Amino acid sequence: MLNQVLQEIRSTQSVLNLGDLSRKLGIERSALDGMIQFWVRKGHLIDDDAAENQSGAVCPTGSCGASCRGTSNCAFITKMPKTYSISPGDIE
Amino acid sequence: MTTHELAYTQLEGFAIYYGRDAEEEIVRLQEAISRHAHIEKQFPSRWLAIKLLEGDRDIEMHLKVLQGGADVLAAAEKSVVHLEKIYGEDIDVVIADHRYGWINGLVREVVKRTSHDRLTTSDKIDRVVTNRLLGIPIFLVGMWVVFKLTTDVSAPYLDWVGGVIGGPITNWVVGILDALGLGGTWVESLFVDGIIAGVGGVLVFVPVMMFLYLALAVLEDSGYMARAAFVMDRLMHALGLHGKSFLPMLVGFGCTVPALYATRTLENEKDRILTGLLVPFMSCGARLPVYVLFAAIFFPENAGSVVFGLYMLGILTAIILGIILKNTIFKGKEQSIFVMELPPYRLPTLRGIWFHMWERTSAFVRKAWTIIMATSVILWVFMAIPVKGSGSFAEIDVNDSAFATANEAIAPVLAPLGFDSWEASSALVTGFVAKEVVVSTMAQVYAVEEPEEEAEATTFFEDVGEIITSFISATGDTIKSLPLIAGINLFEEEGEAEPTSLMQAVQNSFEASSGGHGTLASLAFMVFILIYTPCMVAIAAERQELGAKWMWVSIIGQLALAWLMAFVVFQGGILLDLG
Repeated sequence: MLNQVLQEIRSTQSVLNLGDLSRKLGIERSALDGMIQFWVRKGHLIDDDAAENQSGAVCPTGSCGASCRGTSNCAFITKMPKTYSISPGDIE
Repeated sequence: MTTHELAYTQLEGFAIYYGRDAEEEIVRLQEAISRHAHIEKQFPSRWLAIKLLEGDRDIEMHLKVLQGGADVLAAAEKSVVHLEKIYGEDIDVVIADHRYGWINGLVREVVKRTSHDRLTTSDKIDRVVTNRLLGIPIFLVGMWVVFKLTTDVSAPYLDWVGGVIGGPITNWVVGILDALGLGGTWVESLFVDGIIAGVGGVLVFVPVMMFLYLALAVLEDSGYMARAAFVMDRLMHALGLHGKSFLPMLVGFGCTVPALYATRTLENEKDRILTGLLVPFMSCGARLPVYVLFAAIFFPENAGSVVFGLYMLGILTAIILGIILKNTIFKGKEQSIFVMELPPYRLPTLRGIWFHMWERTSAFVRKAWTIIMATSVILWVFMAIPVKGSGSFAEIDVNDSAFATANEAIAPVLAPLGFDSWEASSALVTGFVAKEVVVSTMAQVYAVEEPEEEAEATTFFEDVGEIITSFISATGDTIKSLPLIAGINLFEEEGEAEPTSLMQAVQNSFEASSGGHGTLASLAFMVFILIYTPCMVAIAAERQELGAKWMWVSIIGQLALAWLMAFVVFQGGILLDLG
């Protein structure tokens, strides 16, 4: 089942959403979340949010005049959905 | 019955069956653990055996210091090697796989779902909103409504803020300076023509920003923005671009700087640089006041649609340029495979929407008080220095100033675009600092003098009363504006709104510099604003993220493309007799 999840993500030709993946594989959404986290821990998937935060992106001026508190807290940032990428070494 | 099956059936309660080979090794490990009573006393032997097969580091560290722990660890290592030979993959994957299989089976056994349960409301909405055919049109309609709301509904408040800044606030400042004996001096000019004209010129657009941020907050909090990203990413992928490119681009609608940092989620360097080069073409919030000002002057009936068109032109430019670059300089066959977690739809709360709107609007206002005020003061100084004529410092015709003379040198380059006045070129030059400065510069360089009205002198409290009354009136007009989104105009009987002096001055200037093709020149100007460098901070971010070489490519490329696209709009428009 776990391998099936990874295989399905690898074989996708486009961006995939977790809801569709859950329905396609007949896996409960909550269980699928756990499986995704498992593959993140194993290094086969990358949690993009965590990767971005770890890279320590900081606004170059420290302030654009709008009391910037760093990139992750920038008031102008539009909230984006969480994404997971296949790690480069895993792409078939 | 084999040993492992016997052990398994003898377990009390529930236990997950991990397969014959794994169960044999679990039993073998349990036997090794049972030889050390103190270890068995601390941990249930089956649980410990499974943890060791999974390679749990904490447990391994704990065992290392226990007497006999080394023996158990050695046995576990032997079991892991043996099982990995059999399964051909990490044993923790095998164990987790069985665990998830067991959970899934259990859920299927005990949870009965009707067809109604199987599809949640979010799923049903997603079937339409993220549909391959309908997704993009829905996104476009959604964005059109956002800009229609932003421009049409905010207009009464825009007039109100303009009235307050140009009326009571200016009068109070002049009154205070008079009381200090500074009336009629260069200090009054600095405050009125520099700070109030510059900063006030931008603050007038705060209601526009508030309505934009309100609409975006509703889209974000409802969960739609994530769907928009999903739909657009699918399109990008279909066009051969990196699927994940649109996420940073969508961030760019707010501000280009964090959008440039968002490109870090792209693993491949080529994709990262390419997306970094495309992100600035997304219209950030700072460009909106320029669009709104020009759309109100030259396209009063279709202001919302013009602003929407400019935002879409930015996306289209990024996509087309992306396809060209991806197939030339950034050619590569790197795949972009990723999954997106779409949050369930939610009814946005008033508190949440207010928080987002307030946070962004206040950030915009703080920016006005820092960067824009500093630029306005510097600009005023250069506009006060005479280089021609017989005027003295701060007492000159603005056309004789150092600022006007310097910008006159640049203006001829812009002649083929229809706006070769020094005023227009100066707005583009200061626009390098930040796009909000474009409007503040225009408010200063057009040296707008509001017509003197023979109004009676008012007291402070009368002014405050007038501010409150006009605010209530603006609120009433805003409510009446809402049907404008559906094309119903409740203002018809009241006639067209009078253009402000700034609007009139800009219109006259563009009509004059374009030989009577002011509408086309204004469109070309807005396209130039859309395409060229967003701001200084974005340049610094590009240098940090893409390196100095790509930063220069970006600056020069954006300028060249802005000139070219504005040229096509203006000259093409004249050729086709469009305006």
